[in-house]
Amino acid sequence: MSSNTRTNRENDSAVAAADEIGGGHEPNSPQGRLKQVLMRQDVILLGVLIAMVAFFTSMNPLFLSTNSLANVLQDWAPVMLLAIGQTYVIITAGIDLSVGSTLGLAGVSGALIIRQLHESAVDPTVAIMLGLLTALVVGATVGLINGLLITRVKLAPFIATLATMGAGAGAILVLTKGVQIAGGPREVVTLGTTRVLGVLTIPLLIVIVILVIAWLVLEQTRFGRWNYAIGSNSFAARAAGINVDLHLIKVYMLSGLMAGFAGMFLYLRLGSGSPTSGSGYELTAIAAVVIGGTSLFGGSGKMSGTVLGAFITTSVLSGLILIGVGPYWQQVVVGVLIAIAVGMQQVGAGKLKRGATSA
Amino acid sequence: MVRMRTMVASAAAVGALALTAGCSAENATETTPSPGGDETPQQLTIGFVPGIASDPFFLAMQQGAEEHAAELGIELIWQGAPDEYSPQSQIPFVQSMITQQVDGLIVVPTDPDALQPSVDEAIAAGIPVATVDTTVTDQSGLVSHITGDNVDGGHLAGVTLAEQIGGSGQVFLMSGSPTATTNTLRQQGFEEALADYPDIELVGIEFANSQPATATSAVTATLIQYPDLAGIFAIDGTSGTGTAAALRNAGVAGDVAFIGYDAYENQVADLQEGVFSALIAQKPGEMAALALDFIVAAINGDTGTIEPNVVMENVVMTNENFAETSVFQYPN
Amino acid sequence: MPESIVYEAKDICKSYGSVTALEGASLSLRAGEIVGLVGDNGAGKSTLVKVLSGALRPDSGTLTMDGEQREWQSPRGALDAGVETLYQDSGLCPDLTVSGNVFLGREILRPGLLGKLGVLDKPALEREAREALDRAGIGFAGVRRTVNQFSGGQRQAVAIGRAVAWARKVVILDEPTNHLGARQANEVLRVMRKAKEQGLGVIFISHTLPHVLEVTDRVVVLRLGKVVADEPTANFTPDTLLKVITGLSQGATA
Repeated sequence: MSSNTRTNRENDSAVAAADEIGGGHEPNSPQGRLKQVLMRQDVILLGVLIAMVAFFTSMNPLFLSTNSLANVLQDWAPVMLLAIGQTYVIITAGIDLSVGSTLGLAGVSGALIIRQLHESAVDPTVAIMLGLLTALVVGATVGLINGLLITRVKLAPFIATLATMGAGAGAILVLTKGVQIAGGPREVVTLGTTRVLGVLTIPLLIVIVILVIAWLVLEQTRFGRWNYAIGSNSFAARAAGINVDLHLIKVYMLSGLMAGFAGMFLYLRLGSGSPTSGSGYELTAIAAVVIGGTSLFGGSGKMSGTVLGAFITTSVLSGLILIGVGPYWQQVVVGVLIAIAVGMQQVGAGKLKRGATSA
Repeated sequence: MVRMRTMVASAAAVGALALTAGCSAENATETTPSPGGDETPQQLTIGFVPGIASDPFFLAMQQGAEEHAAELGIELIWQGAPDEYSPQSQIPFVQSMITQQVDGLIVVPTDPDALQPSVDEAIAAGIPVATVDTTVTDQSGLVSHITGDNVDGGHLAGVTLAEQIGGSGQVFLMSGSPTATTNTLRQQGFEEALADYPDIELVGIEFANSQPATATSAVTATLIQYPDLAGIFAIDGTSGTGTAAALRNAGVAGDVAFIGYDAYENQVADLQEGVFSALIAQKPGEMAALALDFIVAAINGDTGTIEPNVVMENVVMTNENFAETSVFQYPN
Repeated sequence: MPESIVYEAKDICKSYGSVTALEGASLSLRAGEIVGLVGDNGAGKSTLVKVLSGALRPDSGTLTMDGEQREWQSPRGALDAGVETLYQDSGLCPDLTVSGNVFLGREILRPGLLGKLGVLDKPALEREAREALDRAGIGFAGVRRTVNQFSGGQRQAVAIGRAVAWARKVVILDEPTNHLGARQANEVLRVMRKAKEQGLGVIFISHTLPHVLEVTDRVVVLRLGKVVADEPTANFTPDTLLKVITGLSQGATA
C-alpha cells in the first residue's frame, strides 16, 4: 500500500480526490486511450497469437488449411475445457491439480459404461448419452471431494487436489488394468470425427457453447462476481454475508465437471478410453490460464485471456510439427512462451500501479 | 542316492553358474523330492512374480507359464501386485515366495536395484532364480535371464513396413519416449532396417509420452504435411492407439501401411479391421516356459541345458498369417 | 434524549485456545448514540467487533437487538438485522470496483428470468452505488476502476460510505480514521454525526483519543478482555482516559 509512505501534505492535497472518488485519472486524448487499449493483456495476447499464426503460415501455408485448423481445434478443446474450470478456481486464489487424472477417470468410466451398454445391444445414442452422464457424474464427484477437503478439512487447495490426483490415477488403474477401453459402437467414431462447418465437429460445437456460457456467468452474474470477491479478499466476502464455503465447493465441482466433459471429448476423438489420457493436462490448463493474464494470487483474470492462452499453448505444438521443428525443441518453445507471457503480465501490472498513484 | 545327488546339485548349481561348464549328463524327467522332502516323490513348486498381474502382456506370460507347468508336472505359484508396477508392491510377493520355501523362483523385477536384495536372499536360501523381461543389476547369481529383443522388434517392423510399401516411399515413426530403453532400442532397430532401403525416406519422429491424443495430433499434422505418406510405425500401445485414431479421422485407415507393437486385444482387433497392417508381438508365454525349463534344470542339476542369457525373437502378426500367429495375442 | 437500547452485548467470553480475548465484556448501544470503544493493543476490541458483527461466535454471553435475544450464525444474520460493520483494513475486495464493493453480497439483479439466473444489473449497480455514497455524505465520480487503484484514504471512504449507506440500526466502525490525514479524518467524524442524526446507533473504535472525545456520547474502555469503564464522554479528559486505558486508574474520576 503506497499510501503508507505519503506525507500528510500529500494526503491533504488528495482530499479533493477522496471526496470525489476516482476523479481525474482517465486519459483524455485519443492517443492516450489507444495506448490504454493496447496495454491490455488480452490485446497483447491476441497480437502474440496472430504473430504466431502468421509465422507458421509463412513457413508452411498448410498451417491454415482446413485439416490443420481442425486438428488444432481438436487439441485445443480438452485443454480449453480444463482451463475454464481452472480459471474459476484460480480466480478464487485456489488451484486444481486433479483435473488431468479426473479427465482420465471420467473418460474410462464413460468408456466402460458405453462398452457394457453396447454389448447389451442398447441403442448407440442412448449408450453415448449415458456414458457422457457417467463421465460428468464422476467429474463432479471428484470436484465435490476436493471442495469438501478444502472447506471442511481445511486442506490447502494444492495439497487437497494433489491427493485426489493421486487417488484418481490409482482408480484409473483399478478400472482399466492398464488397458485401453474400446468396444463402443461405430457411432462413437463418427460423432467424434464428422466435420461440421468445415473445421468443427459436434463435440467441438458443444465445447464452444460451454465456453460461452462459462464466460457469461463469470462476467455477468452474481456467481462470477462472488468468485472474484472471494479471491480478492475472502474475509471481506464472508463479512459481506457470502457463503464462501458453499461457493468454493461449487467452483471445484465445476472444475471437475469440465474435466468430465474433457474426458468424453478425448474418448470420442480416440474412439477408446485410455488410462493415460489427461495426465499432465492440468499443467497445460494452468499454463493457459496464467498466460491469459489471470493472477495465481486470485481476484483478477478474464476468460478472454484464457481462451487466447489455450490457443497459444496448443497451436504451438502442431505448428512446430508442420514447420519441421524437432520434438526436443517443442518443450523449450512452450516454456519460453510462458515466460514471455508472464513477464509481460508483470510489466503491465506494474505500469498500472504506477499510473494509479500519480495523483 | 537320487535325493543326495539332487541336494548337492541344487547347492552347487548356484555357485557353478558363473563357471558353467555343462558337464552333467543326467536328465531328470521324473519328479524329484523337494529339499526338505520325505519318502514319496513330490511336485516341484515354482514361484513366479510378474511385474504387474493385470497387464495383458503379463497375463499372456501367465498363460504360457501355467500351460508349460502343467506339461512339466510342476506346481506353479503365480502371484504379483495386481494393479501397480512398482518395487514397493512387488517385493512383498518375492519375500513371501522365499518364506514359502519354493523350489525355484522366476521374477520380472520392476527395478534392477530395488529387487537385488530379495533376489540375492532367495539365492542364498538355496532357491534358484531366473529373471524374465527385465532383470537385476547383478546377474551373477541367476540361473538365467530371458528377455524380448527390442532391437529385433524394431528391425522386424522396419523390414515388414518396407516390404508392405514396396521398398520406397515416405514413412514416419510415432515413438513414445525419447529415453525409455524399450523405445530407443526399437527405434534403433527400425532405423537400421530402413538403411537397407535407399528409396524409403523417414520424414519424422515424434514422441507421444504416454498420451494417445499427442500421437493423434502429431500423426494428423504429419499427414497434412506429407499427404503421400506411405507408412507409419507406432512404437508402443499408447502411440498405436493414438495413431489408429488419427488414421481413422483422416479417412486413410488401411491406405497407409501401419505397423504396431505388442499384441494387445484392442490392437489385434484393429489389425483384423485393417487399421494396422502388422503387429510386432513379443512372446511372453514362451519366455516364461523357457524360464521354467531352466529353473527345473537347475534344481535337477542339468546345468548343461541352461543358457544364462536368452534374447527371444518377436513375431510379425498380420491378417494373412493370423491363423498361425493369433496365439500370440496377449492373452489368448 | 436517551432512547431505547437498540443493541446490547452481555458477558461475552471468547478464547482462542489458551488465549482469552474477551472475559465477560458487556456493551450497550442506543439509537442516535455514538459510543466510543477504546483500549490498548490486545485489549480485545477487534474480537468484540467481530462478535458484534457476526463474524465470530462467542463462547458464552448474549446479544440482544431491540430487546430480542439474537444469535448470529454468520455475518449474514447480523447484516440482515441491520448491523453494518467497517473492519480494520480488511473490509474491501481490492480487485472489485466501487459499486462492486458497495453492493458486495447484495448485488442488484436484472428483473425477470435473467435475474433468477443471477445476472447482474450493472447500470443499476453503478447508479445506486453513487446515490448511496451521496446519502452517506461522500462524493462519487462514477468510475469503473477497481478499488486497488485508489489511495488508502479513498478506499476508507468507500468502506465507510458502504457501512453507513446500508446500516438500518447499527453501524460499527473499527479504526475508520486509519490511513487518513487530518482533513479526511474530520470528514469521517462528520459522517458519523450524520449517521447519529439519522437515528443509527454508532460504535466507534479508535486509538486516536482526541477523536473519541470529540464525537462520542459515551466511552467504553476495554482492558485485557474486560470492560473497566463505561461512562459518559463528558466525564473524561485526554489524560484521565489514557490512564484508564493503561490501567493506571480505575475510572474517570478515580
